[in-house]
Amino acid sequence: MKKSVVVNHLCRIEGHGGINVAIEDGKVARVEMDIFEGTRFLEALVVGRSYNEIPPILSRICAICSAVHTITSLMAVEDAFDTKISTQTELLRELLVQGGNIESHALHIFCLAVPDFLGYSGAFTLATDHPEEVKIGLGLKKLGNTVQETIGGRAVHPVNAVLGGFGKVPTKETLLRVKEELIKGLKDALVAIEFIASLEIPSFSESPTIYAALGSSAQEYSLFGDKVIFSSGDSREIKSYKELCNETVIPHSHAKHSYFKGRPFMVGALARIMLNGHKLKFEAKRTKEKLGLNSPSENILHNNTAQAIELVYSLERSIQIIDELVERGIKDEKPVKIKPKAGQGTAAVEAPRGTLYHSYTFDKEGRLTRADVITPTAQNLANIEKDFRASAERLVDEPEDSLQAKLEMVARAYDPCISCSVHLVRLTPKRTTLPLR
Amino acid sequence: MAKPKVGIFGITGCAGEQIVILNCEDQLMDILKILDIRSFHTALSENDEKCDLDIAFVEGAVVQPEEEILLKEIRKRSRLLIALGTCAVWGGVAAMKNEVSRERLKDEIYGPAGKIFESIPAQPLCSFVKVDFSISGCPIEKEQFLQAVASLVHGDIPILPKYAVCTECKTNENTCLLLEKGGLCLGPITVGGCDARCLSYSIPCSGCRGPVEEANVASEVEILKEKGFTLGDVHNQLRTFAAPAEALQTYFAKRGRE
Ligand code: SF4
Ligand code: SF4
Repeated sequence: MKKSVVVNHLCRIEGHGGINVAIEDGKVARVEMDIFEGTRFLEALVVGRSYNEIPPILSRICAICSAVHTITSLMAVEDAFDTKISTQTELLRELLVQGGNIESHALHIFCLAVPDFLGYSGAFTLATDHPEEVKIGLGLKKLGNTVQETIGGRAVHPVNAVLGGFGKVPTKETLLRVKEELIKGLKDALVAIEFIASLEIPSFSESPTIYAALGSSAQEYSLFGDKVIFSSGDSREIKSYKELCNETVIPHSHAKHSYFKGRPFMVGALARIMLNGHKLKFEAKRTKEKLGLNSPSENILHNNTAQAIELVYSLERSIQIIDELVERGIKDEKPVKIKPKAGQGTAAVEAPRGTLYHSYTFDKEGRLTRADVITPTAQNLANIEKDFRASAERLVDEPEDSLQAKLEMVARAYDPCISCSVHLVRLTPKRTTLPLR
Repeated sequence: MAKPKVGIFGITGCAGEQIVILNCEDQLMDILKILDIRSFHTALSENDEKCDLDIAFVEGAVVQPEEEILLKEIRKRSRLLIALGTCAVWGGVAAMKNEVSRERLKDEIYGPAGKIFESIPAQPLCSFVKVDFSISGCPIEKEQFLQAVASLVHGDIPILPKYAVCTECKTNENTCLLLEKGGLCLGPITVGGCDARCLSYSIPCSGCRGPVEEANVASEVEILKEKGFTLGDVHNQLRTFAAPAEALQTYFAKRGRE
């Protein structure tokens, strides 16, 4: 007997992708990530461009992660030129990144994951039976955007965060207004956590996993760090990211797969909670206890749970950042002057979906000679294949449609990007036309 | 009146316009009341791939042959086709170096794996199909989208600004970054509608909305040269978001002959 599941719409890395699962005689014969993206070659197109043009162009890799792309890009350029930025700039940048995390997690949890766990086709149908939860979700999503608009000047592709600082520093009054909204948002989020705590998380996708995330010796949980740490106990310098994103070109895919010491690994909220969760404080810590992620999990479906914990963390941390900024006294600083020189710069930040790397080389005029961007989804591809295989092996006897639904859940748990994760799997033997997204 | 049947599609881009639509958190439920959204893969899990549509909103540029086919199918199904965002309207960032061979780029990035897929220079939708209306911006402005929806529901074609970002900047009484601060600002030749967003943060306009009608590119370039920018830097900036636009193509063609 033959079964095949064709996932036509897995993830947008720079385009479209899918998964193919073939089951023959009760065995999983084949699991393939199939990336048929419309590639835009942005890394190659920016070669020759002046350093200051790089961040706004490369933010266009992804809309929903545009804030963290911008910040990582700015940091990589500044790393190349040894630019030191002020503490105020660091805090404002972190606030922008936290805003992105709030927006992305709220969207994913309430519009994708929760409907999945409760068997709804999407947020709009969920809204009929659970209007309050959907309202809270949309409200939190909007709050994340408010933070991004306030600091970045635009919710998608921020314009205000530039090399050396900010075009215009937000005023104390503006920040305090945002803080009020964050305090209200935190209350709402804690209500929603009760609801999330009531969801049952299936275990069909459990499989041994190596987690990777940024880490540091700091006492606080953070989306920033100075090295990459692994659940295997290893750690690496950010600069040697090539070693851990040891990319292999895969024949069935346009994308490259990442392996660490020959094994796939997972990046994202779950990896962060597994590796750094012990550093959480306040409500985030209590949320982690409440949602049962205190002990190690090897179930990718817990990524949604981890996102819920981080949602609380990002709200609390944003409030903290604003307090810190206000306490230090907000200075109307101009961006630090950049002095270009030949060299290489690399930076990594935890994006909502996992560690994001930007690495550039410049000539002495500050023109880019090489750009390398490694997105979280690209790192997760090999691990997604692993989890698909583990799940399919446990589910070989299930009818195709339930197999399909469950595999979709696995894919969605990775949050590969909303546009592609809503309509994931189509049970057609072969892909004939390009799927829409 | 029956609700117009609508499809929201993404070709190749960053999905920015679809995200902006979803960012209309306060209006989303109302939008659903006035539009019969049949296809929107970003937000719905049940999509009708075949039905006739009154309005198709299409985001992104065409970068591979299959997408041309897809776009033509959407055109066939739909009474109105509206290009959303700079990629769809002008080609966007992916079109900045269309003269460089895609084969070479593929080889640089993917090596042998690049052989298995086809790639064409990034083109705006109007290179392949008739576009009834365009809303540019990288990404589009939420308010413009909402206004456009309101007009379309009433059977009107939306009205968008035809003036330059520069006009909006002056109305807002900003200090001119180009003339007074010597910034590489494309405000004078970029179509408005963003309320001179960047300028209100003291950031020069990088032209993300594409050229305004009758943009005087040559005179903009002259001013920038006087301000001390190299021709190379100015040309790079001009090519960033809307390289395939006629105003820029004409300018570069003339330049080439000089
Ligand atoms: S126009 Fe800009 S925001 Fe829209 S898809 Fe293209 S790159 Fe993204
Ligand atoms: S000012 Fe220029 S770059 Fe900024 S949003 Fe407006 S058109 Fe785009």
